[in-house]
Amino acid sequence: MLTAHPQASNLLRLILASSFFAYIFTISACSNLQTPATADVAVSTSAVNGAAAVGGGEYAPAEMRSAREKLVQANTAMAAHDYQAASDYAAQAQADAKLAQTKVSSTKAQQAATALQEDIRVLREELNRVNNK
Amino acid sequence: MNKISMTQGVLLMVATLSACSTTPRSTTLLDSTRQQYQIVQNNPRIAQLAPIEMRQADDAMVLANNAASNNESREEIDKLAYLAGKKIDIAKEAAKQKNAENKIANAGKERDEMRLDQRTQEVKQEKNRADQAVYAAQVAQVNTQTAQQKVTALSVELADLKAKNTDRGIVITLGDLLFGTNDVRLNPDGMHELQKLATVLQVHQQQTLLIEGHTDSTGGSAYNLQLSERRANAVSSALQLMGVQRARITMHGYGEQFPVSDNSTAENRQMNRRVEIILSDDAGYIVNR
Repeated sequence: MLTAHPQASNLLRLILASSFFAYIFTISACSNLQTPATADVAVSTSAVNGAAAVGGGEYAPAEMRSAREKLVQANTAMAAHDYQAASDYAAQAQADAKLAQTKVSSTKAQQAATALQEDIRVLREELNRVNNK
Repeated sequence: MNKISMTQGVLLMVATLSACSTTPRSTTLLDSTRQQYQIVQNNPRIAQLAPIEMRQADDAMVLANNAASNNESREEIDKLAYLAGKKIDIAKEAAKQKNAENKIANAGKERDEMRLDQRTQEVKQEKNRADQAVYAAQVAQVNTQTAQQKVTALSVELADLKAKNTDRGIVITLGDLLFGTNDVRLNPDGMHELQKLATVLQVHQQQTLLIEGHTDSTGGSAYNLQLSERRANAVSSALQLMGVQRARITMHGYGEQFPVSDNSTAENRQMNRRVEIILSDDAGYIVNR
Protein backbone atom coordinates (compact mmCIF):
# COMPACT_ATOMS: atom_id res chain seq x y z
CA MET A 1 0.00 0.00 0.00
CA LEU A 2 1.14 3.52 -0.57
CA THR A 3 0.53 4.54 2.98
CA ALA A 4 2.68 1.79 4.41
CA HIS A 5 5.81 3.82 3.78
CA PRO A 6 5.80 7.28 5.33
CA GLN A 7 8.62 8.56 2.98
CA ALA A 8 6.81 7.33 -0.04
CA SER A 9 3.71 9.02 1.23
CA ASN A 10 5.57 12.32 1.53
CA LEU A 11 6.91 11.98 -2.01
CA LEU A 12 3.43 11.30 -3.30
CA ARG A 13 2.09 14.36 -1.49
CA LEU A 14 4.77 16.48 -3.10
CA ILE A 15 3.96 15.12 -6.56
CA LEU A 16 0.26 15.63 -6.00
CA ALA A 17 0.74 19.16 -4.72
CA SER A 18 2.88 20.21 -7.66
CA SER A 19 0.50 18.52 -10.09
CA PHE A 20 -2.36 20.40 -8.51
CA PHE A 21 -0.55 23.69 -8.98
CA ALA A 22 0.07 22.85 -12.59
CA TYR A 23 -3.55 21.98 -13.03
CA ILE A 24 -4.71 25.20 -11.38
CA PHE A 25 -2.30 27.12 -13.54
CA THR A 26 -3.66 25.49 -16.68
CA ILE A 27 -7.29 26.14 -15.77
CA SER A 28 -6.65 29.61 -14.39
CA ALA A 29 -5.61 30.89 -17.79
CA CYS A 30 -9.30 30.96 -18.66
CA SER A 31 -10.37 33.25 -15.84
CA ASN A 32 -8.07 36.09 -17.00
CA LEU A 33 -9.45 36.06 -20.55
CA GLN A 34 -12.41 38.35 -19.92
CA THR A 35 -10.66 41.65 -20.64
CA PRO A 36 -8.90 40.61 -23.90
CA ALA A 37 -12.06 38.84 -25.12
CA THR A 38 -14.09 42.02 -24.56
CA ALA A 39 -11.52 43.96 -26.55
CA ASP A 40 -11.48 41.32 -29.33
CA VAL A 41 -15.25 41.43 -29.67
CA ALA A 42 -15.22 45.25 -29.74
CA VAL A 43 -12.54 45.31 -32.46
CA SER A 44 -14.44 42.73 -34.50
CA THR A 45 -17.72 44.62 -34.15
CA SER A 46 -16.01 47.72 -35.45
CA ALA A 47 -14.42 45.76 -38.33
CA VAL A 48 -17.78 44.27 -39.33
CA ASN A 49 -19.49 47.67 -39.20
CA GLY A 50 -16.65 49.22 -41.22
CA ALA A 51 -16.91 46.55 -43.91
CA ALA A 52 -20.69 46.99 -44.05
CA ALA A 53 -20.31 50.77 -44.38
CA VAL A 54 -18.12 50.55 -47.52
CA GLY A 55 -20.56 48.16 -49.22
CA GLY A 56 -19.56 44.73 -47.95
CA GLY A 57 -23.19 43.58 -48.11
CA GLU A 58 -23.26 44.38 -51.83
CA TYR A 59 -19.77 43.33 -52.94
CA ALA A 60 -19.01 40.41 -50.52
CA PRO A 61 -22.35 39.12 -49.18
CA ALA A 62 -21.08 35.65 -48.18
CA GLU A 63 -18.16 37.03 -46.16
CA MET A 64 -20.40 39.61 -44.48
CA ARG A 65 -22.96 36.95 -43.51
CA SER A 66 -20.21 34.77 -42.05
CA ALA A 67 -18.71 37.73 -40.17
CA ARG A 68 -22.07 38.64 -38.62
CA GLU A 69 -22.77 35.04 -37.60
CA LYS A 70 -19.36 34.78 -35.96
CA LEU A 71 -19.94 38.05 -34.15
CA VAL A 72 -23.28 36.80 -32.81
CA GLN A 73 -21.54 33.61 -31.60
CA ALA A 74 -18.80 35.70 -29.97
CA ASN A 75 -21.37 37.77 -28.11
CA THR A 76 -23.25 34.61 -27.06
CA ALA A 77 -20.00 33.15 -25.73
CA MET A 78 -19.28 36.41 -23.86
CA ALA A 79 -22.69 36.23 -22.23
CA ALA A 80 -21.94 32.64 -21.21
CA HIS A 81 -18.57 33.79 -19.78
CA ASP A 82 -16.78 31.52 -22.25
CA TYR A 83 -14.10 34.08 -23.00
CA GLN A 84 -11.79 31.80 -24.95
CA ALA A 85 -14.60 30.95 -27.38
CA ALA A 86 -15.61 34.59 -27.52
CA SER A 87 -12.05 35.60 -28.53
CA ASP A 88 -11.89 32.83 -31.11
CA TYR A 89 -15.19 33.80 -32.73
CA ALA A 90 -14.23 37.45 -32.59
CA ALA A 91 -10.94 36.68 -34.39
CA GLN A 92 -12.85 34.75 -37.07
CA ALA A 93 -15.43 37.51 -37.44
CA GLN A 94 -12.61 40.00 -37.83
CA ALA A 95 -10.89 37.90 -40.50
CA ASP A 96 -14.20 37.59 -42.41
CA ALA A 97 -14.83 41.32 -42.12
CA LYS A 98 -11.30 42.16 -43.31
CA LEU A 99 -11.75 39.83 -46.27
CA ALA A 100 -15.10 41.46 -47.08
CA GLN A 101 -13.56 44.92 -46.92
CA THR A 102 -10.62 43.91 -49.13
CA LYS A 103 -13.07 42.39 -51.63
CA VAL A 104 -15.00 45.68 -51.73
CA SER A 105 -11.84 47.70 -52.41
CA SER A 106 -10.59 45.17 -54.91
CA THR A 107 -13.89 45.01 -56.82
CA LYS A 108 -14.21 48.79 -56.91
CA ALA A 109 -10.64 49.20 -58.14
CA GLN A 110 -11.16 46.56 -60.81
CA GLN A 111 -14.37 48.21 -61.98
CA ALA A 112 -12.64 51.58 -62.14
CA ALA A 113 -9.72 50.09 -64.08
CA THR A 114 -12.03 48.40 -66.57
CA ALA A 115 -14.03 51.60 -67.07
CA LEU A 116 -10.86 53.64 -67.60
CA GLN A 117 -9.43 51.17 -70.07
CA GLU A 118 -12.70 51.18 -71.98
CA ASP A 119 -12.62 54.99 -72.07
CA ILE A 120 -9.10 54.90 -73.40
CA ARG A 121 -10.01 52.33 -76.03
CA VAL A 122 -12.91 54.49 -77.25
CA LEU A 123 -10.73 57.61 -77.23
CA ARG A 124 -7.97 55.86 -79.17
CA GLU A 125 -10.49 54.64 -81.74
CA GLU A 126 -11.83 58.16 -82.09
CA LEU A 127 -8.35 59.67 -82.52
CA ASN A 128 -7.41 57.04 -85.09
CA ARG A 129 -10.57 57.88 -87.00
CA VAL A 130 -9.79 61.60 -86.93
CA ASN A 131 -6.10 61.12 -87.82
CA ASN A 132 -6.87 58.82 -90.75
CA LYS A 133 -9.26 61.24 -92.36
CA MET B 1 -6.65 13.95 2.54
CA ASN B 2 -7.78 10.33 2.42
CA LYS B 3 -6.76 7.72 -0.12
CA ILE B 4 -9.99 7.76 -2.07
CA SER B 5 -10.14 11.51 -2.53
CA MET B 6 -6.50 11.56 -3.62
CA THR B 7 -7.14 8.85 -6.20
CA GLN B 8 -10.20 10.72 -7.45
CA GLY B 9 -8.12 13.86 -7.72
CA VAL B 10 -5.48 12.15 -9.77
CA LEU B 11 -8.12 10.66 -12.06
CA LEU B 12 -9.75 14.06 -12.52
CA MET B 13 -6.45 15.67 -13.43
CA VAL B 14 -5.57 12.93 -15.90
CA ALA B 15 -9.03 13.14 -17.46
CA THR B 16 -8.82 16.91 -17.80
CA LEU B 17 -5.43 16.90 -19.53
CA SER B 18 -5.81 13.69 -21.54
CA ALA B 19 -7.82 15.38 -24.28
CA CYS B 20 -4.58 16.70 -25.78
CA SER B 21 -2.80 13.41 -26.21
CA THR B 22 -5.27 11.89 -28.71
CA THR B 23 -5.47 14.76 -31.29
CA PRO B 24 -4.57 14.03 -34.94
CA ARG B 25 -1.68 15.82 -36.65
CA SER B 26 -3.92 17.47 -39.26
CA THR B 27 -7.53 18.20 -40.14
CA THR B 28 -9.47 18.42 -43.40
CA LEU B 29 -9.63 22.22 -43.09
CA LEU B 30 -5.88 22.47 -42.44
CA ASP B 31 -5.15 20.27 -45.46
CA SER B 32 -7.29 22.39 -47.80
CA THR B 33 -5.81 25.58 -46.30
CA ARG B 34 -2.32 24.26 -46.97
CA GLN B 35 -3.31 23.63 -50.58
CA GLN B 36 -4.63 27.19 -50.90
CA TYR B 37 -1.43 28.50 -49.38
CA GLN B 38 0.63 26.45 -51.83
CA ILE B 39 -1.26 27.95 -54.79
CA VAL B 40 -0.75 31.49 -53.50
CA GLN B 41 2.93 30.83 -52.84
CA ASN B 42 3.39 29.53 -56.38
CA ASN B 43 2.24 32.91 -57.67
CA PRO B 44 5.09 35.36 -56.91
CA ARG B 45 2.93 38.28 -58.15
CA ILE B 46 0.79 38.04 -55.02
CA ALA B 47 3.73 38.50 -52.66
CA GLN B 48 4.95 41.36 -54.89
CA LEU B 49 1.64 43.17 -55.03
CA ALA B 50 0.46 42.53 -51.45
CA PRO B 51 3.58 41.95 -49.32
CA ILE B 52 2.00 42.89 -45.97
CA GLU B 53 -1.08 40.74 -46.45
CA MET B 54 1.10 37.86 -47.65
CA ARG B 55 3.29 38.10 -44.57
CA GLN B 56 0.19 37.98 -42.37
CA ALA B 57 -0.96 34.89 -44.25
CA ASP B 58 2.51 33.33 -43.79
CA ASP B 59 2.37 33.98 -40.03
CA ALA B 60 -1.15 32.56 -39.71
CA MET B 61 -0.14 29.49 -41.67
CA VAL B 62 2.87 28.94 -39.38
CA LEU B 63 0.61 29.15 -36.30
CA ALA B 64 -1.79 26.57 -37.77
CA ASN B 65 1.04 24.24 -38.78
CA ASN B 66 2.65 24.57 -35.33
CA ALA B 67 -0.64 23.72 -33.66
CA ALA B 68 -0.78 20.59 -35.79
CA SER B 69 2.78 19.50 -35.10
CA ASN B 70 2.29 20.18 -31.36
CA ASN B 71 -0.63 17.81 -31.46
CA GLU B 72 -3.05 20.42 -30.25
CA SER B 73 -6.80 19.84 -30.35
CA ARG B 74 -8.63 19.44 -33.63
CA GLU B 75 -10.71 22.51 -32.71
CA GLU B 76 -7.59 24.59 -32.03
CA ILE B 77 -6.03 23.55 -35.34
CA ASP B 78 -9.25 24.32 -37.23
CA LYS B 79 -9.56 27.74 -35.62
CA LEU B 80 -6.04 28.65 -36.72
CA ALA B 81 -6.52 27.05 -40.14
CA TYR B 82 -9.72 29.08 -40.61
CA LEU B 83 -7.88 32.31 -39.81
CA ALA B 84 -4.99 31.33 -42.10
CA GLY B 85 -7.46 30.57 -44.90
CA LYS B 86 -9.06 34.00 -44.58
CA LYS B 87 -5.69 35.73 -44.55
CA ILE B 88 -4.71 33.87 -47.71
CA ASP B 89 -7.95 35.05 -49.36
CA ILE B 90 -7.24 38.59 -48.14
CA ALA B 91 -3.76 38.47 -49.69
CA LYS B 92 -5.27 37.31 -53.01
CA GLU B 93 -7.89 40.10 -52.98
CA ALA B 94 -5.34 42.72 -51.95
CA ALA B 95 -3.12 41.64 -54.86
CA LYS B 96 -6.09 41.97 -57.25
CA GLN B 97 -6.81 45.40 -55.84
CA LYS B 98 -3.20 46.53 -56.23
CA ASN B 99 -3.12 45.18 -59.75
CA ALA B 100 -6.27 47.14 -60.62
CA GLU B 101 -4.82 50.27 -59.02
CA ASN B 102 -1.67 49.84 -61.11
CA LYS B 103 -3.86 49.63 -64.20
CA ILE B 104 -5.60 52.84 -63.14
CA ALA B 105 -2.25 54.56 -62.67
CA ASN B 106 -1.10 53.27 -66.06
CA ALA B 107 -4.33 54.44 -67.63
CA GLY B 108 -3.39 57.97 -66.64
CA LYS B 109 0.04 57.47 -68.15
CA GLU B 110 -1.42 55.88 -71.25
CA ARG B 111 -3.83 58.78 -71.64
CA ASP B 112 -0.95 61.26 -71.36
CA GLU B 113 1.02 59.32 -73.95
CA MET B 114 -1.97 59.29 -76.23
CA ARG B 115 -2.38 63.02 -75.84
CA LEU B 116 1.31 63.48 -76.66
CA ASP B 117 0.98 61.19 -79.70
CA GLN B 118 -1.96 63.24 -80.86
CA ARG B 119 -0.02 66.48 -80.48
CA THR B 120 2.92 64.95 -82.40
CA GLN B 121 0.52 63.81 -85.08
CA GLU B 122 -1.00 67.27 -85.35
CA VAL B 123 2.42 68.89 -85.55
CA LYS B 124 3.40 66.39 -88.23
CA GLN B 125 0.27 67.13 -90.22
CA GLU B 126 0.86 70.85 -89.79
CA LYS B 127 4.44 70.39 -91.01
CA ASN B 128 3.23 68.35 -93.98
CA ARG B 129 0.86 71.13 -94.91
CA ALA B 130 3.66 73.69 -94.53
CA ASP B 131 6.02 71.50 -96.59
CA GLN B 132 3.41 71.20 -99.28
CA ALA B 133 2.97 74.97 -99.31
CA VAL B 134 6.74 75.45 -99.57
CA TYR B 135 6.88 72.89 -102.36
CA ALA B 136 4.04 74.57 -104.19
CA ALA B 137 5.84 77.91 -103.83
CA GLN B 138 9.04 76.34 -105.16
CA VAL B 139 7.20 74.85 -108.11
CA ALA B 140 5.61 78.22 -108.81
CA GLN B 141 9.00 79.89 -108.57
CA VAL B 142 10.54 77.36 -110.95
CA ASN B 143 7.67 77.93 -113.36
CA THR B 144 8.19 81.66 -113.14
CA GLN B 145 11.93 81.25 -113.65
CA THR B 146 11.32 79.00 -116.64
CA ALA B 147 8.95 81.56 -118.08
CA GLN B 148 11.47 84.33 -117.49
CA GLN B 149 14.23 82.22 -119.02
CA LYS B 150 12.05 81.67 -122.07
CA VAL B 151 11.41 85.39 -122.38
CA THR B 152 15.12 86.03 -121.90
CA ALA B 153 15.96 83.42 -124.53
CA LEU B 154 13.49 85.00 -126.89
CA SER B 155 14.95 88.46 -126.37
CA VAL B 156 18.46 87.05 -126.92
CA GLU B 157 17.36 85.51 -130.18
CA LEU B 158 15.81 88.84 -131.10
CA ALA B 159 18.88 90.82 -130.06
CA ASP B 160 19.80 91.38 -133.68
CA LEU B 161 16.51 93.13 -134.10
CA LYS B 162 17.37 95.48 -131.24
CA ALA B 163 14.38 94.11 -129.37
CA LYS B 164 13.69 95.78 -126.05
CA ASN B 165 12.16 94.26 -122.92
CA THR B 166 9.49 96.70 -121.78
CA ASP B 167 6.53 96.62 -119.39
CA ARG B 168 4.39 95.57 -122.32
CA GLY B 169 6.72 92.70 -123.31
CA ILE B 170 9.34 92.47 -126.06
CA VAL B 171 9.09 95.38 -128.43
CA ILE B 172 10.80 95.53 -131.83
CA THR B 173 10.92 98.88 -133.52
CA LEU B 174 11.14 99.06 -137.30
CA GLY B 175 12.46 102.53 -138.04
CA ASP B 176 11.62 104.84 -140.94
CA LEU B 177 14.83 103.88 -142.78
CA LEU B 178 13.48 100.36 -143.32
CA PHE B 179 10.61 101.68 -145.40
CA GLY B 180 10.75 102.98 -148.96
CA THR B 181 10.77 106.78 -149.24
CA ASN B 182 7.18 107.98 -149.41
CA ASP B 183 6.20 104.30 -149.44
CA VAL B 184 4.28 102.20 -146.97
CA ARG B 185 6.16 99.08 -147.98
CA LEU B 186 9.41 97.88 -146.43
CA ASN B 187 12.63 98.22 -148.37
CA PRO B 188 14.98 95.19 -148.73
CA ASP B 189 16.73 96.02 -145.45
CA GLY B 190 13.34 96.06 -143.71
CA MET B 191 12.39 92.75 -145.30
CA HIS B 192 15.67 91.30 -144.08
CA GLU B 193 14.99 92.39 -140.49
CA LEU B 194 11.46 91.07 -140.66
CA GLN B 195 12.70 87.72 -141.93
CA LYS B 196 14.80 87.34 -138.76
CA LEU B 197 11.69 87.94 -136.68
CA ALA B 198 9.65 85.47 -138.73
CA THR B 199 12.32 82.80 -138.21
CA VAL B 200 12.24 83.31 -134.44
CA LEU B 201 8.45 83.19 -134.46
CA GLN B 202 8.57 79.81 -136.24
CA VAL B 203 10.23 78.43 -133.13
CA HIS B 204 8.11 80.33 -130.61
CA GLN B 205 4.67 79.40 -131.78
CA GLN B 206 2.89 80.59 -128.61
CA GLN B 207 3.61 84.25 -129.17
CA THR B 208 1.12 86.49 -130.87
CA LEU B 209 1.97 89.91 -132.33
CA LEU B 210 0.58 93.37 -132.07
CA ILE B 211 1.73 95.58 -134.94
CA GLU B 212 1.41 99.30 -134.24
CA GLY B 213 1.92 102.01 -136.83
CA HIS B 214 3.13 105.47 -135.77
CA THR B 215 3.89 108.71 -137.63
CA ASP B 216 5.31 112.18 -136.95
CA SER B 217 3.10 115.22 -136.65
CA THR B 218 3.72 116.52 -140.16
CA GLY B 219 0.49 116.62 -142.20
CA GLY B 220 -3.11 116.09 -141.12
CA SER B 221 -3.88 113.72 -138.34
CA ALA B 222 -6.41 111.79 -140.48
CA TYR B 223 -3.76 111.29 -143.12
CA ASN B 224 -1.23 110.27 -140.48
CA LEU B 225 -3.68 107.77 -138.95
CA GLN B 226 -4.26 106.25 -142.35
CA LEU B 227 -0.53 106.18 -143.09
CA SER B 228 0.20 104.41 -139.79
CA GLU B 229 -2.46 101.81 -140.50
CA ARG B 230 -1.13 101.16 -143.98
CA ARG B 231 2.44 100.68 -142.72
CA ALA B 232 1.25 98.32 -140.01
CA ASN B 233 -0.75 96.46 -142.62
CA ALA B 234 2.28 96.22 -144.89
CA VAL B 235 4.37 94.68 -142.09
CA SER B 236 1.57 92.26 -141.31
CA SER B 237 1.33 91.19 -144.97
CA ALA B 238 5.10 90.71 -145.17
CA LEU B 239 5.13 88.53 -142.06
CA GLN B 240 2.26 86.45 -143.41
CA LEU B 241 4.21 85.90 -146.60
CA MET B 242 7.09 84.68 -144.39
CA GLY B 243 4.84 82.04 -142.77
CA VAL B 244 3.36 83.73 -139.71
CA GLN B 245 -0.36 82.89 -139.43
CA ARG B 246 -2.85 85.71 -139.77
CA ALA B 247 -4.50 84.61 -136.52
CA ARG B 248 -1.36 85.51 -134.56
CA ILE B 249 -1.35 89.09 -135.78
CA THR B 250 -3.27 92.12 -134.55
CA MET B 251 -2.77 95.53 -136.15
CA HIS B 252 -3.38 99.07 -135.03
CA GLY B 253 -2.62 102.49 -136.49
CA TYR B 254 -2.11 105.28 -134.00
CA GLY B 255 -1.04 108.12 -136.30
CA GLU B 256 0.84 110.83 -134.43
CA GLN B 257 -0.66 110.02 -130.97
CA PHE B 258 2.34 108.30 -129.41
CA PRO B 259 5.61 110.01 -130.44
CA VAL B 260 8.86 108.71 -128.93
CA SER B 261 10.35 112.21 -129.05
CA ASP B 262 9.15 115.74 -129.91
CA ASN B 263 8.70 116.59 -133.54
CA SER B 264 10.92 119.72 -133.47
CA THR B 265 13.83 118.38 -135.60
CA ALA B 266 14.00 116.26 -138.73
CA GLU B 267 15.93 113.64 -136.80
CA ASN B 268 13.27 113.43 -134.09
CA ARG B 269 10.52 113.26 -136.68
CA GLN B 270 12.28 110.38 -138.34
CA MET B 271 12.35 108.52 -134.98
CA ASN B 272 8.64 109.05 -134.58
CA ARG B 273 7.93 107.51 -138.01
CA ARG B 274 8.09 103.84 -137.06
CA VAL B 275 6.29 100.51 -136.74
CA GLU B 276 6.46 98.73 -133.37
CA ILE B 277 5.97 95.01 -133.11
CA ILE B 278 4.99 93.85 -129.60
CA LEU B 279 5.41 90.16 -128.78
CA SER B 280 2.96 88.57 -126.40
CA ASP B 281 3.85 86.33 -123.44
CA ASP B 282 3.57 82.53 -123.76
CA ALA B 283 -0.16 82.72 -123.12
CA GLY B 284 -0.61 85.04 -126.10
CA TYR B 285 -1.42 88.06 -123.95
CA ILE B 286 -0.45 91.60 -124.87
CA VAL B 287 -1.05 94.79 -122.92
CA ASN B 288 -2.80 97.23 -125.22
CA ARG B 289 -2.01 100.91 -125.16
